[in-house]
Amino acid sequence: MNSIIIGQYIPGKGFLYRLDPRTKMISIIFLMVSVFLLQNVYQLFIAFGIGILVLLFGRISLLKVIKGLKPIFLLLIFTFIFQIALNKSGDVVSDTTMHINLYSIGAVVLAFVIWRILVRFNKLKMLLFLVFVVGIYFIFRYITYSPDFYSFQFTIYEKGLEMSAFVVVRLLIIITLTTILTLTTKPTDLTQGMESLLHPLKKIGFNSEEFALIISISLRYIPTIFDEAQKIMLAQASRGADFSEGKLKDKLKQIVSLLVPMFIIAFIRSEELADAMESRNFVPGQKRTRINILTFSIVDVYTFVFTLLCFAGAIVAKVVL
Amino acid sequence: MSIISVQDVSFAYNDDHESLKNISFSIEKGEWIAILGHNGSGKSTLAKAMVGLIEPQVGEIFIDSVKLNEETSYDLRKKVGIVFQNPDNQFVGVTVRDDIAFGMENLSIPREEMLERIQFYADKVEMGAYLDKQASNLSGGQKQRVAIAGILAMRSDILIFDEATSMLDPYTRNDILEYMKSLNKEGFTVIMITHDVNEAIQADRIMIMNQGRIIAFDKTEEILKNQKLFIENHLELPIALEIALKIDKSEYRDKIWEYALKK
Ligand SMILES: Nc1ncnc2c1ncn2[C@@H]1O[C@H](COP(=O)(O)OP(=O)(O)O)[C@@H](O)[C@H]1O
Ligand SMILES: [Mg+2]
Repeated sequence: MNSIIIGQYIPGKGFLYRLDPRTKMISIIFLMVSVFLLQNVYQLFIAFGIGILVLLFGRISLLKVIKGLKPIFLLLIFTFIFQIALNKSGDVVSDTTMHINLYSIGAVVLAFVIWRILVRFNKLKMLLFLVFVVGIYFIFRYITYSPDFYSFQFTIYEKGLEMSAFVVVRLLIIITLTTILTLTTKPTDLTQGMESLLHPLKKIGFNSEEFALIISISLRYIPTIFDEAQKIMLAQASRGADFSEGKLKDKLKQIVSLLVPMFIIAFIRSEELADAMESRNFVPGQKRTRINILTFSIVDVYTFVFTLLCFAGAIVAKVVL
Repeated sequence: MSIISVQDVSFAYNDDHESLKNISFSIEKGEWIAILGHNGSGKSTLAKAMVGLIEPQVGEIFIDSVKLNEETSYDLRKKVGIVFQNPDNQFVGVTVRDDIAFGMENLSIPREEMLERIQFYADKVEMGAYLDKQASNLSGGQKQRVAIAGILAMRSDILIFDEATSMLDPYTRNDILEYMKSLNKEGFTVIMITHDVNEAIQADRIMIMNQGRIIAFDKTEEILKNQKLFIENHLELPIALEIALKIDKSEYRDKIWEYALKK
């Protein structure tokens, strides 16, 4: 029962895996700032192109990055549609009449059914959704065989198109950047990188070592606690509890029946863990050596140079262009 | 001098109930001791007192002739390693390597030295090939072996096992017992806490606890001679004794028992 994977880390090779986590974090912050400095959609396209090159150079499969985009895919599409529909400045790019009638509604329903069926047997769910959305546009535009219930003008303006592309591409780049980080860095390395970067905060009383220890213990126990939740649910289910159905009140009851034992077990667990740590000479705040250490290599230097070039480029774009 | 000497120790978690009552005993270097008692008899409390996790209200504990108290507990803990019951609640690191390192990191041992010891002790408990594995991918027995490597790497020479096998399947349980046996042969002082009589009889000496008191502490053969001890202290009987008692005719019963003891 160890199916839970924390984070999105996928083992692999390529230079992005060999980078120090600190390099990746700092570079990504700078690259994000750079992206926000860019003025128009054409600059963003260039940045996007550079991003794709980096991915290819790092031998990261684009498919995996696209998968990482999944959670925000809907957001991207709706942002795009809203921008196009609401931004009404600049020249008119296209002006079409949308027909809502018996046939077009029928066609949309049919398209919906086909889409849902395809989604079940296909891996490219996002692409299918995109095709479905675009399909709706064409259905309402071209199916005019029966009298309309309602029709309206759908006008796309140049600025609207540009703005929507701008917002979407910018979001795409930002998400891709963070996906690269989580895809190529183990959660433990992330924690350690964070610890090292936050170390200067010791002066204002923030202990980054303890912070990192807490995070790594959490990482360690998340799978265990999930397994436990599953076991308790199975145990409750074998006594007739049903977690998927029932009225809200019943559901609440079942959630409580899950949470109470979990809290009790967690309480015992934390006591025992603290005993185990103390018996192995752990003293909070005490200096300790580390088995895992971070080291910079020449690849990190190249990466910093690349980042700085991008950053300088973005500043030039902001100031000069 | 005894390696552990406990003198008239009493301890209560809260006022109304004493979990340890006037405990006194001593253990010699290189011995294998079993502490036997049913649930709630105070075994874990005694173990915690011996590693300084709790401080008895009354009495004194000496480890290697040094009195255990707040000032000395840090140094004395280096000598006494403890493996607890629940494999999951003592695995601190994310990977096997991290976990074996945890105690050494706390002792500020240089990294190169740690890497050497990790490999050595991981090999010793046959976990050398699993250094990069995460806790959630290990079995209970493997986690307990990692815990053993962790305290060995700290160079503890007194090893306490607090029901370290009770959550394992019988096969793995034997495995861990074999480790205890061979570590004891190497010279480690082993204190094995258990409620399982058949496990306890492997030790040199057995201490029987009940309601926070030591009922008996003697050589294993002597303890086994006294059948009443097991019954009165709500312990399971050793299998041989159980068989012997099932036999009605007393002449045979005693003979079988004597035979089992000799074995
Ligand atoms: N953290 C605690 N707080 C209060 N009472 C405890 C605590 N731990 C154990 N006890 C009590 O102390 C007694 C001895 O417990 P313990 O040493 O855990 O026994 P054993 O390990 O032999 O099963 C029991 O009565 C138990 O209820
Ligand atoms: Mg116990």
